[in-house]
This record gives sequence, structure tokens and C-alpha cells, in this order.
Amino acid sequence: MAAPGPGAGGGRRFATGLIVSGSVVLALAVLAAALAPLLSQWGPTEIDPAGTLAPPGGDHLLGTDVNGMDVWSRVLHAARVDLGIVVAAVALAVLFGSALGLVAGYLGGWLDDLLMRLLDIFQAFPMFIMALVVAALLGGGTINLVIVIALVNAPAYARLVRAEARSVRELPFVEASVTSGSGTLAVLWRHVLPNSLTPVRVIAPLNCGWAMLTLAGLSFLGLGVPVPTAEWGAMISLGASDVVAGRWWTSVPPGLFLLASVLGFSLLGEGLQERAATGGPASSGVGR
Amino acid sequence: MRLLRFVARRLLLLVPVLLGVVVVTFLLVRVLPGDPIRTILGPNATEADAAAARARYGLDQPLWRQFVDYLRGLGTGDLGRSIQSGGSVTSELALRVGPTLELVVLALAVALVVATVLGIWSARRAHRIGDHSIRVLALAGNSLPDFWLGLVLILVGYSVLGWFPAPSGRVDPDTHLTPVTGADLLDAVLTGNGPAFGSALGYLALPVATLSIVIVAPLLRSVRASALEVLRSEAYTAAAAHGLPDRLLRRGYLVRAALSRLPALAALVFGFGIGSTVLVEYVFSWQGFGQWALRGLLFRDYPVVQASVLVIAAGYVLVFLVADVVHAMLDPRVRI
Repeated sequence: MAAPGPGAGGGRRFATGLIVSGSVVLALAVLAAALAPLLSQWGPTEIDPAGTLAPPGGDHLLGTDVNGMDVWSRVLHAARVDLGIVVAAVALAVLFGSALGLVAGYLGGWLDDLLMRLLDIFQAFPMFIMALVVAALLGGGTINLVIVIALVNAPAYARLVRAEARSVRELPFVEASVTSGSGTLAVLWRHVLPNSLTPVRVIAPLNCGWAMLTLAGLSFLGLGVPVPTAEWGAMISLGASDVVAGRWWTSVPPGLFLLASVLGFSLLGEGLQERAATGGPASSGVGR
Repeated sequence: MRLLRFVARRLLLLVPVLLGVVVVTFLLVRVLPGDPIRTILGPNATEADAAAARARYGLDQPLWRQFVDYLRGLGTGDLGRSIQSGGSVTSELALRVGPTLELVVLALAVALVVATVLGIWSARRAHRIGDHSIRVLALAGNSLPDFWLGLVLILVGYSVLGWFPAPSGRVDPDTHLTPVTGADLLDAVLTGNGPAFGSALGYLALPVATLSIVIVAPLLRSVRASALEVLRSEAYTAAAAHGLPDRLLRRGYLVRAALSRLPALAALVFGFGIGSTVLVEYVFSWQGFGQWALRGLLFRDYPVVQASVLVIAAGYVLVFLVADVVHAMLDPRVRI
């Protein structure tokens, strides 16, 4: 590892800046989700009989869409759906992936081989393609989306945790615990698991951003949440045909909210990665 | 010679993975709910109509029989007939791959050039304002939803400014371009069709820009990190202390070493680009492989789904193989 260069202090400050700005953006998104009903006078699926595709201003801060629903209200309420699905999906992926990786890495043997070959087949696809295929075959809906997104992200955690568990397994304190008669489960739970999760903490926020883009992409193609539900990707999809006619307000605002939330996760994740790599060369983590 | 042996061994290793993909896709598409026959026949079809259609596509056969037939077809390059269109999947595929590859390869090329230039520039100003702004910008690009960025570019470039053609099609039909490979830019060059070349370029500009903006960030980060390592290495410090001219330092020491880690990442990003094109093609009505595969998927067109999944998996693992070979060429320390 290279010695910390003269600019390492600047790197550390930069990392802190990234973490703080990411957290602020995410806090704002959570706030928008929590206060959505207070911040808008229309319901997210309430139809204004007075007009469809009304431009911003007057009764509707950001105008209405082709169904006559208030864009501002929908954009705020969508934060609940998007954040909710993404956090649930990534949590599930971490849980499932870590458990698989932990067992495979610690026990090794044929179980490990089998799992790795299965992951090889699974990862012979770009992630979005995998998500697309599974979502199309499984069908849309909130629960299915959580499952699909968790499923495509779990292999990365399985590999990460497996690698860590393989090295933790060889450490003296694990050996000590085994020779003093602790059962396999106890050793896994008390010693191997806590020491194998370090990389997960750094990757998870970046992963949330990517998961959110996957969710929005699936919804954009009509494989997401059921129709009138306010969700950013679905809103952009609905507004896509307005763009050619020069009507921006149905698709630009949901995209900006989506971008801001993903950026929040990315800033946080990048900051954590930079801090973990303090001074040394940045780890070549791959976004999305 | 050793390189050839390496490639041969890796190709052999691909066989079990691809066979796994074939089996899993074949089963998954049939086991999960959804029926292509009902979809194409519509709600008014009788049970007899459905049975006849099923027999026409061999779907009345037992599962193992269908699988054996499918494998036999694969051996001869016959991917079956599309249930939606009735056409040969192999020839439909041949028409669709060119335009998509053109899009992804051009976008990747643009992103690689941008990442190399900015990454090295950024590394030489490490932890100063220029470096930080480039990194935040790249992060923002990486956080952009590709399909939305495409729409915004259409809004600005077509609806407001009118500089680019409407987002539908790949080349102006009035230029009478004769298709050769399906990649319009390449076809225009091959047939010496100047107007078509200009038109294709105009149609390509926005989708290529969309894709390259969203994929540049990981490449940039990798170039910057590698370049930083070189800049801090003793070899580089010594060379600089000896007063070598800046040009030589950059060409001889920095660029090649900074690029050595890029191929593997570029392969990964290529895969990401393939995923992205499904969305980008949809936004720009590109009528390429992505849109074709998506429609097949939505209609449960078994042969189309099987073929497109297999093509993506094969293409993806092949690109990784190419990346390893390029890596070995860039970095003489790598033994393969």
C-alpha cells in the first residue's frame, strides 16, 4: 500500500463532506415522504375534474398529468413507495446474501462449491437484465419488486461475506472458540458474522442507489407498482409521451426527485468508501 | 501460443455455464405463469384453436421432448420460430444485434476516452478543487436514471432546440441506406452513402450521449485510482526527479500503467450498458435487440426469450474473456 500522500488530509475532509451532504439529501427525501400529505393539498391519486395536463401554477404547483392528477403531490408521495421498497429490498438482500456467504465461506467443501457455481450462472447476466427477466416472469406488484431487487443484489453480498468469512475462519480467536467447545452456530453468530460484515456496511448505501434505479427502470417499462400508485419511474413513463410535445412538467420533476435520492445514497456510499480507504488508493468499487 | 491455449481453456470452461443458462431459462420460462398462445390468440379463441396453435409450435410435446428438440436446433444454429411473428428467431436476431452493438460500443468508446483524459487530469490534481468537482460530477452522472436522462435530452435537443431528429428510428429512410450489418453508421461507410452517414450520426448522438454519461463514473474512478498509484510510485518519482520531459512522463509512465486495470472494469460496464440499452432503446424507439428481447419477454415468446437470454449471457462472458486478453497485453506482469 502506498504511503499516505501529502493530500491525505484533504481526502479525509472530502470524505466527510460527501457523507454529510449525502445524509442531508437523504434526510430531506425521508422528510418529503413523511410529510407528503401535509405538503400537498391534493391526494396522490385524486383526479382534478377541472383539467388534465394543466401547466404548473394556479391550483397545481407542478401542474397535472394526463389523468388529471397533481404532479407535486404524486412526486412527494412517491418517495414513500420508492424509499420503502428499496430499503426493504436491500435489507432482505443483505440478510439472505450474508447468511449464504457466511455458511459457504465458513464451512467450505461441496456446499461452497455448489453455491459458487450457482452464483456463476446467476452472474452471467448484467444485473438489470436479470432483474428484468425475473420481474417479467414473476409479474409486477410491490412484494414481487422487493423480492426481485433483493434477489439480484444478494449474490454480491454472498461473495463479499464469503470472502471475509474464509479469512476470519483462520483467525486465532475463532480457533480458540472452536477448541473450547462452542458449537458451529454459536461460533458463526458470535465471532464470524460480526467480523465479516465490515465491507457490507460500506457497499449497502451505494447498493441502495443502484436498487432505486433498478426499481424505477422496471416501473418505467411497466413491470413495477400497480398503475395509479405514485412511483417515480412509473410517473416518468406516463410523462414520456409528453416530452416530444414539449410538456416537461410530467416527467422532469419525478426524475429530479429520483436523481436526488440516488445521488444521496451515492454520496454517502462514496464517502464511506473514501473514508475506509483513507489516504491509500481508493478501492475500485464498481457503481451500480 | 500460450495466449491461444488460455483462450481455448477459457472457452471450454464457458460450456458448463452456458449449458446451465440454457437449462434454467428453458425451465423458468415454462414453469412460471403466463401463456404465449393465449396472448397471441386473444380472448375470443376457442379451446380447439389454442390446442391447434400449441401443436403448431410443438408446445403439446412433453417437456423433455421440447428440450431435446431445442438443443438439436441450437447445434445447427436454429433458434426456433417466434410465437408472435412466426418468423425465424435466428434471422430476427441477426437484424437486431447490429444496431444495439453500435450503440453500446460507441457509448463505451466515448466513455473510455473521457474517463482516461479526466481520470488522469484528476489524479494529477488529487484532493484539490478540480479533482473534487470532477468526482462529484461523475457521481452525479452515475446517479442519473438513464431513461430519464434520455427524455431530458430529447426535450432539450429535439423539442426545444430542434437540433436532433425525432426519437424514432435510426436513420432517415429518404437516404435509402442498404442494410449490411444492421449497424447503420458502419453500413453507410461500407456502401459509401454520405447522407446516410450524416443522418445516422444525428440519430446516434442523443442515445450515445445518454449511455456514456451514465457509464463513465466507474471507469473514471478506476483510472484516477490507478494513476494516483503510479504518481506516488518510486519509479515515477525517480523519473520525474531526473527531469524527464512532461510529455514522456505522461506517455511512457502514466497512461499505460493507469489503463492496466481498465479492461476488466470495461467488461463489467459493457454488461451494464447492455442492461441500460433496453431502457434507452425504448426511449428512443431504436428497434434494436433490447426492444426485441423486451417484447419477447412480455409476451412470453419462449423461443425469443431463450435466444435473447442465451445471447446476452454468451456475449457477457465473451467480453470478459476479451478483457482478460487485453489486460495481459497491457500489463506484461500478467501471466495467463
